[in-house]
Amino acid sequence: MSPAYILKRILLIGYTLLVVSLIVFAITQILPADAAVMMLGENATPDALAALRVKMGLNDSIWLQYLHWLAGVLHGDFGLSMRTGQPVAPAMFEALGRSLLLALFSIVLMLVLAIPLGIIAAVRRGRAVDLGVSFLSYVGVSLPEFVTATLVVLVLADWLQWLPATGYVPLTEDPLRGLRHLVLPVLTVSLILIAHVSRMVRSELVDVLHSDYIRAARLKGLSKRQVLFKHALRNALLPTITIVALDVGYLLGGVIVVEEIFALPGIGRQLIVAIQARDLPSIQAGALILATTYAVANFLADIAYAWLDRRIQYD
Amino acid sequence: MATPILDIAGYGLDYATPAGFTRALDDVTLSIARGEVLGLVGESGSGKTSLAWAIMRHLPKSAREAGAIRLTGQDLLKTSEAEIEAIRGKRIGMVFQDPSTSLNPTLSLGTQLAEVLVRHRGLTRKQAWAEGEERLAHVGLKVPGQMMRRYPHEASGGEKQRVVIATAFACQPECIIFDEPTTALDVITARQILDLFKELQAETGVASLYISHDLALVSQIATKVAVIHRGKIVEQGAVAEVFARPRDAYTQKLLAAVPRPDHRLVDTAAPAAGKPLVEVEKVSVHYGRKPFLGRLLGRANTQFTGNREVSLCVMPGEILGIVGESGSGKSTLAKAMTGLNRFEGEIRFAGRRIAGLGDMDRAYRRDVQIIFQHPDSSLNPRQRIREILSRPLELYGEPGARKDAAAIGELLEQVRLPASFAERYPHQLSGGEKQRVAIARAFASKPKLVICDEITSALDVSVQASVVELLVDLQKRFGTAYLFITHDLNLVRQIAHRVAVMYRGDLVDLVDVAALTDGTLHPYTRSLLDAVPAPAAAAA
Repeated sequence: MSPAYILKRILLIGYTLLVVSLIVFAITQILPADAAVMMLGENATPDALAALRVKMGLNDSIWLQYLHWLAGVLHGDFGLSMRTGQPVAPAMFEALGRSLLLALFSIVLMLVLAIPLGIIAAVRRGRAVDLGVSFLSYVGVSLPEFVTATLVVLVLADWLQWLPATGYVPLTEDPLRGLRHLVLPVLTVSLILIAHVSRMVRSELVDVLHSDYIRAARLKGLSKRQVLFKHALRNALLPTITIVALDVGYLLGGVIVVEEIFALPGIGRQLIVAIQARDLPSIQAGALILATTYAVANFLADIAYAWLDRRIQYD
Repeated sequence: MATPILDIAGYGLDYATPAGFTRALDDVTLSIARGEVLGLVGESGSGKTSLAWAIMRHLPKSAREAGAIRLTGQDLLKTSEAEIEAIRGKRIGMVFQDPSTSLNPTLSLGTQLAEVLVRHRGLTRKQAWAEGEERLAHVGLKVPGQMMRRYPHEASGGEKQRVVIATAFACQPECIIFDEPTTALDVITARQILDLFKELQAETGVASLYISHDLALVSQIATKVAVIHRGKIVEQGAVAEVFARPRDAYTQKLLAAVPRPDHRLVDTAAPAAGKPLVEVEKVSVHYGRKPFLGRLLGRANTQFTGNREVSLCVMPGEILGIVGESGSGKSTLAKAMTGLNRFEGEIRFAGRRIAGLGDMDRAYRRDVQIIFQHPDSSLNPRQRIREILSRPLELYGEPGARKDAAAIGELLEQVRLPASFAERYPHQLSGGEKQRVAIARAFASKPKLVICDEITSALDVSVQASVVELLVDLQKRFGTAYLFITHDLNLVRQIAHRVAVMYRGDLVDLVDVAALTDGTLHPYTRSLLDAVPAPAAAAA
């Protein structure tokens, strides 16, 4: 993997995001929302509306509007929220930060639990442990997150009263309370991820353990342990990386439900509020930010993949 | 005689299955002393690989054993798992069939060699790496330092097999099992690996168990030979003895089935000169399309050339053999001639110009049929044999011709299969039977040319012999011309009238079969001929 390749990939991400920005902008144009009416209210006079339209450049050609918007975006300026009249960018990035925190904790918890679970299930294939892990992960994969979330809240917050059910406290304000508020959302999200990834690790590892080179390694006199950790695991984890990268996309876009249930003001929740209020600049910003994180996550996965498997030649 | 290194006495192996026990090995007794090479010969499913796993103590839990396997007197059946792990790789080494699957794709070759030295000889990683480089140099690798750092995909098949061999020899084992170590390699590479084996064997005096299906090969390298059939050793003894005077009926059959250039199956005289049936003129095939982005950026063409201006012709009723190593463009040509590949150039069939896929109409397809290498993938597993054979009858049968069960029965009998097979599915047939069905399908349209693309290479030698005999018989009956593609030079010399040799997309030689023995030949053809082990002395 050459530096030139990495540079090319970064350029490709830029290109992807440009296309995404076009689509996002086009969709917000189609939405039945007149920005001027949104800002001045239904009872505004036609003169006032016309004046505002000129001021906001709404009479310009669509391309010119797009270019104006894009220029702003490139400077980190996503415009003013139609709902609050405040700049969109700071609020969105703050929300992104909270979502990333949720994602980070969930991924770490997932990695810590899912990989060992998958390994144990694969090594003890067909035994009680494997069946148990398989059954639980099957349940985990098939339950939608609002069910998991409800169960988690019911048990840990309602019955046991161990943790707060909803709300958010910044870690900088009160680290301990902040963490307590994060536990339930993280648990909900990571349960699904763990179920998903441990199944993946298990099936990949079972395949790898049956391959010729694993047998060859055993017949060279290496112990089962050496073969598992040195020869098998690396190959089994390769496809898992791709899955984790896709899950990152899910984490940021798909946790809207989880953020809603736990009243966690992350980017998903922000986006819902924006859509409900037809707050066009916020919708554009949210969509573009999510697309960016998704593209970056996949880029990182590709880099990790190529680093682990030298057969992958990117040029 | 000194005490043998490896001594197997009355060894039996059964696998527990839901339906009871299946016997894999039955009362196997053999021994190998220092400096000896025992060639274990058998067809697929004969139990030869099971024996290798048994010696390496790598058996599934369902295995039930009897007898003894002794390594310098120590019974491995009674040895603990931990001790076995210390023996494997150190006292018994193993070389596997296919180096591309027996090496871990994500670890460097050096890592995979050095780990054995660390494990068994207690070297540090650094020492092991230095020793590994020496070992690689010893097995004839030119740039050992670089090779250590390479990954399997960065080395050729021959280089990888050398690394595997270096690994097996690394701890100076007393015994090494070679499980078909050259089967997955090209002819010339296989020859080089075989030479390396002989050299190291002579140098170290290691007791070798050489497993192979190739009798000709075993006759060249082994001191003793054991023939295994359905889990039983049917005959064993000194190589010269067994090959010259085989006592067992199965051994005799096996020896008779080995293709021998001096034993022609077809009249040597080529069909009388006349108008050629097919003329292939300057046919080139390129694989790969220009990538869209590459084209935008004006990047150089990344196409791969499969055939470069190949010209040849086939006379009516002629058998033209095409030989070459994998990737030389043999199958590419076959695909071009059947419209499975785009090509440049021209094909003339019975005087008709075929410039591309568009010209390959029903008449052309009726006259030109192809049989593929693997009947498993060329026969639809969900169709009965009857359905498989009725397709060409419907497509190409003359109007009014019968397409009923009797017609299908005749097709099957033509390839010496019972008509009752019509109701079976492909998986209910053996490999040889499946290939006969594929032959019957190709002959259903009464073609003038049949392209046989490595059709016997997935078959055992005795099955191969009967399939080849069938082909020769059909050729005599119908006067069909064959384009017989194979990597087996001995086989092609048995049946072809002329032989075309391909090398990296080029046709380098096109000669009468007799010219292979005394004609002027392209250097590549020469090295191909030199690489092929001639079968052992005539088996009467």
